[in-house]
Amino acid sequence: MRQKCKLVLSDGTSFSGELIGAPLRASGELVFTTGMVGYSEAITDPSYFGQILCFTYPLIGNYGIPDLPRGLDLPIPRGFESAKARAAAVILAIDSSEVFHWNSFQPLDEWLTSQGVPAIVGLDTRHLVHLIRSTPNLLARIEPEHPEGYRDMGAVFQPKNATSFFDPGNHNVLPEVSTDKKMIFGKGKIRVGLVDCGVKWNIIRQFLEYDCEVQLLPWDTRLSDVDCDLWLLSNGPGDPTRTGDLVQQVEGLLTQDRPILGICLGHQILSLAAGANTRRMAYGHRSHNQPVYEVGTRRGYITSQNHSYVVEDASLPSEWDAWFRNVNDQTIEGIKHKTKPFRSVQFHPEASGGPRDTSWIFEQLLAEVKK
Amino acid sequence: MPMLKQLANLGRTPKVLILGSGGLSIGQAGEFDYSGTQAIKALIEEKIEVVVVNPNIATVQTNPTAGVKVYLYPVEVDWVEKVIAAERPDAIIAGFGGQTALNCLIKLDEQGILKKHKVINLGTPASVLRLTEDRDEFAQKMREISMPVPASFACEAYPSALTAANRIGYPVIVRAAFALGGLGSGFANNDEELKALVVPALASSPQVLVEKSLKGWKEVEYEVMRDSEGNTITICNMENFDPLGIHTGDSIVVCPSQSLSDDEYQILRNAAIKIVSSLGIVGECNVQYALDPHSLNFYIIEVNARLSRSSALASKASGYPIAYIAAKVVLGYDLLELKNPVTGITCAFFEPALDYITIKFPRWDLLKFQGVDRHLGSTMKSVGEVMAIGRSFPEALQKATRMVTEHPEGLSAQRFKGSDEQLREELNSPTDKRLFAVVEAFRRGWSLDHLRELSSIDLWFLSNLKTMMATEAEISKYGEGSEKLERVDMMILQTLGTVNAETWRRWKIQGFGDEQIAGLVLRGKGLGAGALCKASHGVRKLRLEHNVRPVVKKIDTTAGEYPSPSNYLYMTYGGTFSETLPEDNKVFSAVVLGGGSYRIGTSVEFDWCAVSCSRKLQESGWRSIIVNCNPETVSTDYNSSDRLYFEELSVERILDITDIERPVGIICSMGGQLPNRLAKPLSEAGLKLLGHRADSIDTAEDRARFSALLDKLEIGQPRWVAATGKDEIKRFIDDVGFPVLIRPSYVLSGAAMSVAYDDESLQFCLTTASDISPDHPVVISEFIVGAREIELDGVAKNGEILTAIVSEHIENAGVHSGDATLVVPAQRLYVETVRRVKRAGRAIAQGLNLNGPFNMQFLAKENEIKVIECNARAARSFPFVSKAVGLNLADVATDVMIGVKPNLSRFNEDELPYVGVKAAMFSFKRLGGADPVLGVEMASTGEVGCIGENVDQALLLAMEASGVFSPKKGVLVSSGSEKEKLRFLPAARTLVSLNIPLFGTPGTAKYLQEHGIPVTSLAWPEEDKFDVIKAVKEGLVDFVINIPKDTQRNELTRGSAVRQAAVKFGCSLLTNMEIVTAYVHALERCPDFLANHKVIPLPSFKA
Repeated sequence: MRQKCKLVLSDGTSFSGELIGAPLRASGELVFTTGMVGYSEAITDPSYFGQILCFTYPLIGNYGIPDLPRGLDLPIPRGFESAKARAAAVILAIDSSEVFHWNSFQPLDEWLTSQGVPAIVGLDTRHLVHLIRSTPNLLARIEPEHPEGYRDMGAVFQPKNATSFFDPGNHNVLPEVSTDKKMIFGKGKIRVGLVDCGVKWNIIRQFLEYDCEVQLLPWDTRLSDVDCDLWLLSNGPGDPTRTGDLVQQVEGLLTQDRPILGICLGHQILSLAAGANTRRMAYGHRSHNQPVYEVGTRRGYITSQNHSYVVEDASLPSEWDAWFRNVNDQTIEGIKHKTKPFRSVQFHPEASGGPRDTSWIFEQLLAEVKK
Repeated sequence: MPMLKQLANLGRTPKVLILGSGGLSIGQAGEFDYSGTQAIKALIEEKIEVVVVNPNIATVQTNPTAGVKVYLYPVEVDWVEKVIAAERPDAIIAGFGGQTALNCLIKLDEQGILKKHKVINLGTPASVLRLTEDRDEFAQKMREISMPVPASFACEAYPSALTAANRIGYPVIVRAAFALGGLGSGFANNDEELKALVVPALASSPQVLVEKSLKGWKEVEYEVMRDSEGNTITICNMENFDPLGIHTGDSIVVCPSQSLSDDEYQILRNAAIKIVSSLGIVGECNVQYALDPHSLNFYIIEVNARLSRSSALASKASGYPIAYIAAKVVLGYDLLELKNPVTGITCAFFEPALDYITIKFPRWDLLKFQGVDRHLGSTMKSVGEVMAIGRSFPEALQKATRMVTEHPEGLSAQRFKGSDEQLREELNSPTDKRLFAVVEAFRRGWSLDHLRELSSIDLWFLSNLKTMMATEAEISKYGEGSEKLERVDMMILQTLGTVNAETWRRWKIQGFGDEQIAGLVLRGKGLGAGALCKASHGVRKLRLEHNVRPVVKKIDTTAGEYPSPSNYLYMTYGGTFSETLPEDNKVFSAVVLGGGSYRIGTSVEFDWCAVSCSRKLQESGWRSIIVNCNPETVSTDYNSSDRLYFEELSVERILDITDIERPVGIICSMGGQLPNRLAKPLSEAGLKLLGHRADSIDTAEDRARFSALLDKLEIGQPRWVAATGKDEIKRFIDDVGFPVLIRPSYVLSGAAMSVAYDDESLQFCLTTASDISPDHPVVISEFIVGAREIELDGVAKNGEILTAIVSEHIENAGVHSGDATLVVPAQRLYVETVRRVKRAGRAIAQGLNLNGPFNMQFLAKENEIKVIECNARAARSFPFVSKAVGLNLADVATDVMIGVKPNLSRFNEDELPYVGVKAAMFSFKRLGGADPVLGVEMASTGEVGCIGENVDQALLLAMEASGVFSPKKGVLVSSGSEKEKLRFLPAARTLVSLNIPLFGTPGTAKYLQEHGIPVTSLAWPEEDKFDVIKAVKEGLVDFVINIPKDTQRNELTRGSAVRQAAVKFGCSLLTNMEIVTAYVHALERCPDFLANHKVIPLPSFKA
């Protein structure tokens, strides 16, 4: 028999389900993703740090969890986007307790337990989506019937009592997800300066495939000291305005001519450095089916997305153009500088999980360097 | 860019020709009515004039509505060219009419007809279509873009086979070329096994194919849409429950995939997009893969550059209107400028996110085809399908099983009864009973791994089934030791009274139905179906006391990410909150029950009835709520109703729906026999039936009650008896004489009606009828030879017939009405016969107090009429009769059912402009071993209907549309009995006068020669000369007339071999002398028919 477990929302509503994973209390921003596959990638995606992730697809864990390596070594195994589970907690309707996939090492339940992540199953996840949609910035707590402590959220959140809610939007969470020390991968010709704001491993995997040397830099590295051929500002969690002096540092990069590509949080930081503003969206974009189009063309791309903040349209400085827009709500999905090789995208060209239709953006970037 | 420039700049309304797919057959069924209907809607919205060529009169797409001109003609190059010449369309669309339409398009293109008439082909170019059809060319193209295709080598000797096998890598599959029924095929894991297979195979076959074995690989499909800008999306993917080797049309299919990781999902998605882009496809395309269950390796199996059965399924599974959007795309719109009509706010350029699982379950009717090989393999055999939606795999699968078996106990009902050895055999070489064998194996405690080894089904699916079977055992335990009580509800209370809410919820989320649960706890108590239905109400009451009830969820393509006004709904126990239903300001509402899976006997014609009814309700200001579970239908299109419940047609589920919807009433008479059967229990459960009262329906359905009514009304009927023992049978036959019609009352799939001509055949019929007892009587009735069969289709109001149309069969009585050739208006009946039929019809309508649609069937012999049956519901013939005479009977019936006065003033039965002929469409080509002959059991899978200035024209068109082409090379005749030979003489003389060479089997040839008719005699096969089979196979003849001695289907005769050969090698085949006579007569009276015929469009409805 599984332990009973409650989901308590910041608006006072609560739901009962059953606990899988670790018997720990957890708190965070309540978000949902509509991706139907890629749960291990999502749960280990550092961008979900501080968030309680609700899967709208009701059957999660069907193909199990591959063997998770302890650290970031080459070759980087597929199925994970960082070395541990990052989501504060997980919500789903039904999990598979038995798994049989050839690449599976253990079932979801077991893995979540080993990762110290609580999860609640048996909820009407579609109903939760309706609530999240209609209540901006909904926070939530997971409360197992017999909790054995709190989910470890690092230094940024040390709950004083069982009823406090954690809002990742109120903190600089980069220290929790970025690498502590500079790391170098690959021996390729092009040297990539990758600012780690909680990078997804697939960004590293992809650039290694393109014969690059990837320098993984802690988020607070003095960027002016780094020698590289191009800059990547990685994805990551939280509010882009709460990232220490990273925006100022990136402003410094804009004075030189080396290509820059920002991804997701990196896009927001580049936009802020360019002089634009960002705002928190009502409930963000989190799915594998976000349609974007390249401005000025009839070409669209299906993208993988995971963000709560968006660049405000009117604030975009005149030397920058909107590069991509969301087909559904017309929000900015990418910007590019009119003359310099600076650009960024709100979506994830590295996918994982999700569609890989925009990996050409990486190729285009590398072509800029080779020029 | 909106519409294509060429069309937009015409300076007038553009006209577009759409090709349909013709009569429904196995592999090409109702899905093309759905896609064609959506395409027409998309064109009409653009103010394009639409011309449809499709002889399938029972479809919604052949409704002559505003802006749509319908030509009921064969989808053959010659006829389509005539329509093109008459209509001068600007463009043609073939992607919505299946393989039939594509083949026609390719020929129109090759023969320069499109060019000659300046018709633009919208959609994928003919050259690309040809490429996807040609195996070698396609494989070459795939290799060019580095896409893996399984290697295949044709070898003529063992050494070359050995080289091939070693190049491919073991295991390989060896297939003997040109061999019948998979003879000489098998798998080889090493050189030795290869030798053991190849050497004997080459002894009897000139060539073997050595191919990469993908046995046990997963089969996965992607539905892709690409626009002219190159924007490409995948609508969804689907995973087959059955591993590779079983045709996807015969597989249980889940959407989305369940056992694929993100890597696997994306690798296949990328490949699909790459393939579709490299082929330059515009519109919809389906890509099928084999995926290694142990690695990321995959192969491309097939690409279909058109709307398909899979795309119709994907449409219904995802909520994305694929055909509608594809039509806009082939018109030149790009996906970015199209809205998703389901959400109304999101764009068509996106990929649906599902938050539920759907399962498609095929429907086989193999019992209807005696002698057929029931094994499933690379040839599709199913005649229909259902789709179930749930929030868990068990919930969806149990729903699907109940939907397809039409048995409320579903998986728990149809138990595999064989020995362990038989069970192993079934799991290893599957038939249509495979799923029931898998669950039986779990009941017998077999292990997961053992089942995996035997069946190659993915362990994830198997483990779900194992869990379900554990729950089944748990439920059954509650019944152990209980006593049989007078009242079933007390028995339910006794057994299940202690079950708590949590347990109820767990059972229900695993999909166990109320009646299924009742059946499990009351198993072995000897309760009939009626008692179980009562018991199910007890179960319902108990769980409702614990507030365990399903919730309504929407299908909105976005998993709830955006608010959606979607009216596409399903019910589930996998949730606790029902959604807000789409709003309207309508006061009255009615629930219309659809027909469920297509099957032999219930097909697209009932969907036409349900759709007509729903639209009429909407026109009358009612909220129309459709319940149906067949993804191939138009009725389950999101805009055929105000609210669509894609749900089970069961008492339990309809009560769940009406609990929420609170309709004025429920319409059971439009979807065929399945909803008709539900009328009584639903009425007993307190629902109001619109139309006929439950008692009227029951009287019409209940043989004894109906017979008594006829006696009271003094209307003749064939004599019959419900015999409970052999003596009774003997007494009856002594009285009426042979032949007699035998219907076993206890038949699992409703099959096995047969005719006994003598004692010997009687014995045979009775042994196949299993047990005869007071509980299971056999109904035996007088079989009247040489009688005409007449149908009366109409609508009555409060017992008065408002309108009724008489039609007649060309074949004499004895051919099932679903297989017979129907003519309207009746051509050869005495005025007196018609008078008597109408008079009897009026009396019956009054006697039953009919209040809605009906169909009555009569026999007539020399003005004496006898009633065979009365259906107090819309009938198969409704769309045909409605369109042929120009009066929509379904609309009239709907008016009556909701109390509106129908307007019949514009319709005059005496002024019918045309004669209509409906012909049956058979699928024997796919049913190896089945004898293609007409009998008392229906065997056709579809129908066509054509109109003409006279019956001859209409008959020739209908016959051609059903695959009977006029003879050119020669006619092979083999007519069993002396009597038939004699009846054939006039037709034989006509054929000779038409300069068509005649060939005959020895007996027939001799007979014809004796009567001075020039005929070449051909030997029977065993006589080792140029035999009849060879003549058929090598194309000496292109037309076979083969009249079986009697209508017994179950004897393996030489005649059967000729008939099967005719089907196999594409000869036209006629097996009934009346139709032969009528057909040859028509040939004579319509010389040079193709050249002389002026095509006529279907006139529009007059009411």
